[in-house]
Amino acid sequence: MKRSIVAAATAVALLLAACGSERDEASTTTAAAADTSTDVSTAESVPPSVTDTMPAPDTTEGADSVINVPDDQPTIQAAVDAARPGDLILIAPGTYNEAVNVETENLTIRGLDRNEVVLDGNFELENGIRILGAGGVVVENMTAINYKRNGFFWTGVDGFRGSYLTAYRTGDYGVYAFDSMNGQLEHVYAAGSPDAGVYIGECYPCNTVLTDTVSEHNGLGYSGTNAGGNLLIVNSVFRNNRAGIVPNSGSYELCYPQRETTIVGNIVHSNNQPDTPAIDVALLAMGNGILSAGGIRNDIQRNLVYDHNKSGIGLVPFLEENPNDDLPTKDEWELTCEESKSLPLVTPEGALLWDSYENRVIGNVLEDNRQGDIIVGSAGTDVSSLGNCFAGNTFTFTQPNNLEVLAPCDATGSGDWKDGEYNVVAWLLDTPPPSVDWQTANLPALQPQENMPDAATAPAKPAIDVPYEVDLDAVTVPSKPT
Amino acid sequence: MSAVRCVAALIAVIAAGVACSSEPEAQPAHLHTDATSIGQPDRVIAGPQGGVPQFVVECAYSHAASDDPIVYPGQPGQSHLHMFFGNTEVDAFTTIESLVDGDTTCDNSLDKAAYWAPALLRGPEVLAPVKSVAYYRPGVDVTPQSVQAFPPGLVMIAGNAGARDEQPLSIVAWGCGRGIARSATPSTCVEGQNLELIITFPDCWDGARLDSPGHYAHVAYSSGGRCPDAFPMPIVQLQFVVEYAFTGDPEGLVLASGGVLTGHADFMNGWDQATLEQEVRLCIHREVVCGLSS
Repeated sequence: MKRSIVAAATAVALLLAACGSERDEASTTTAAAADTSTDVSTAESVPPSVTDTMPAPDTTEGADSVINVPDDQPTIQAAVDAARPGDLILIAPGTYNEAVNVETENLTIRGLDRNEVVLDGNFELENGIRILGAGGVVVENMTAINYKRNGFFWTGVDGFRGSYLTAYRTGDYGVYAFDSMNGQLEHVYAAGSPDAGVYIGECYPCNTVLTDTVSEHNGLGYSGTNAGGNLLIVNSVFRNNRAGIVPNSGSYELCYPQRETTIVGNIVHSNNQPDTPAIDVALLAMGNGILSAGGIRNDIQRNLVYDHNKSGIGLVPFLEENPNDDLPTKDEWELTCEESKSLPLVTPEGALLWDSYENRVIGNVLEDNRQGDIIVGSAGTDVSSLGNCFAGNTFTFTQPNNLEVLAPCDATGSGDWKDGEYNVVAWLLDTPPPSVDWQTANLPALQPQENMPDAATAPAKPAIDVPYEVDLDAVTVPSKPT
Repeated sequence: MSAVRCVAALIAVIAAGVACSSEPEAQPAHLHTDATSIGQPDRVIAGPQGGVPQFVVECAYSHAASDDPIVYPGQPGQSHLHMFFGNTEVDAFTTIESLVDGDTTCDNSLDKAAYWAPALLRGPEVLAPVKSVAYYRPGVDVTPQSVQAFPPGLVMIAGNAGARDEQPLSIVAWGCGRGIARSATPSTCVEGQNLELIITFPDCWDGARLDSPGHYAHVAYSSGGRCPDAFPMPIVQLQFVVEYAFTGDPEGLVLASGGVLTGHADFMNGWDQATLEQEVRLCIHREVVCGLSS
């Protein structure tokens, strides 16, 4: 790790890269399971078993069945394979050494007890539950530990929801959504990933909400490469990571730039944790609360951000030494992910500097962020030209000084951007504590986490109505935990 | 590439294949068989990840030996120096059957395939590889759902260990870090962006042979999204990347197989077959990104 840091330091680089159905026909067993299951099926008037003369079962709620694990199917995978779209899989307390793959849309996969339904990868399996191109799948009320890659992973889906999920000690990410849109992640607890506790990447518009989440002791609390567009990170806690909330741009994955993420009402504190597992970028970003690394048009409002060795809120560049494409033009910032995928690649000469443009930093409460409550920096670009704005924040000092005077929102700024100019390149000379092996890192003991309401009886609720609406105007700056 | 150039390249490849086919199976290490499989990818496979379905296996460096169980089976020390990744028990006596007894350095513990490439040298110094990354994707413009897993026991070589001229960048290339730039000779990589050797394997199989005389003739490259008639079965395309702990001036670098133009890599399918087939089905057929290299 030291090699990487020293190596990176010699480049004028701020390398903040983040960083990533086959089903059986409904069997008679499944139908029988529905008939004999308890509250849910009786409450929902499950029809009789499907016969050849009946039309194909519809996917409305009343037609869905419940599959109990292990009573009806011995494993979660067997239940998933037996399920039809719309079905509810209920998992009894126990430890499941499984890597579950989901190809059937609109399943609801639920643990009966979040803390006692534990998927354990034993440091051998890759993902706890992996949803591959199947829209509408819900995973809720369970725990995944010790997976070599991710706890819970949606890829290439339209419609997803993860609720009341605990991910602990995972090799890449705790909860991970890639190339996926229209999602809801809520009541997540994620700890012990070298990359990010929660990652949402490669989507625009994402149409996704992350809320009521605690992410701690990860390399990054949140990472979101090239993600945005109605993407909300709200009412959550990011603490004791190397760095807190770190969206970034880069051409090493598609759908750049990162843009339009709304970060509101979060508590972000003490992200200087020296003993977490950490990829190189988490080491470079260490000591920052909310850090936009080449992010554009993000809305950072009414967060409580304190106790950081570097910035509370930082707007900095991402320097990509070996890019795959040239920088998108301002017009291209408007293109959807799908549209931008069809643009031809233009191999640039040399490195790309992704600056952070047109972000709005408003009404945050910042304290004890030791190099600046709010910091704006670049590696050669005139930071006064970036179009970021600052208003109504509570803070002690910014870098450059007086950012709210230099660049107020919806008003004309004045003053000297050279006063208190911040040298972000100097970060590259730091020697942060090296990464710790994710398998053995010292993590806080896993505490019991809140269960979803009525896990045994609540009906299946596929992710066809997500994200849920957030009343952003009602979100106030959270008070400091005691 | 224009049709005319395609044909010309094809003729050249066929000519090279004919020339080598008469050579003896075993020969001194410095006279490696001069051959490639028919065709080459329509374009250099590079660029941002996330647009093409894939799964990825990262394998730590395992060991080095002057062994080659494909080209010089049962003849330890006969080969140029190779760097082995994945299966930990590979030597000159390795067979497909023996691979199951090995452990693996790969992050996917069910990938016990043997991957190897020539050692990178600077004078007498062997430069340590950091790791390898194996990308598994459909071939260029090949219908993802038509792609099959490698059959059990398949062996392949990509690139020409006897090359004296530049090989197609679509098969053998050097690069730096995650960048898109490719070159026929090692690049000058900036600090933090390590030098890489990138080898792209054939993606069409004859459907019958697990190996062939010279080891190239049972597989080929697709073109225009189609496999050649004699190689009708699309197989998942392996792009194998070796990352070296090296940046800066590449002057003086050589591969153990010869100069820097002799890039190649070898593969023996030691995957747990059910797992390989599952990943092809889940990731390639369903057209999703199952993983990204770090």
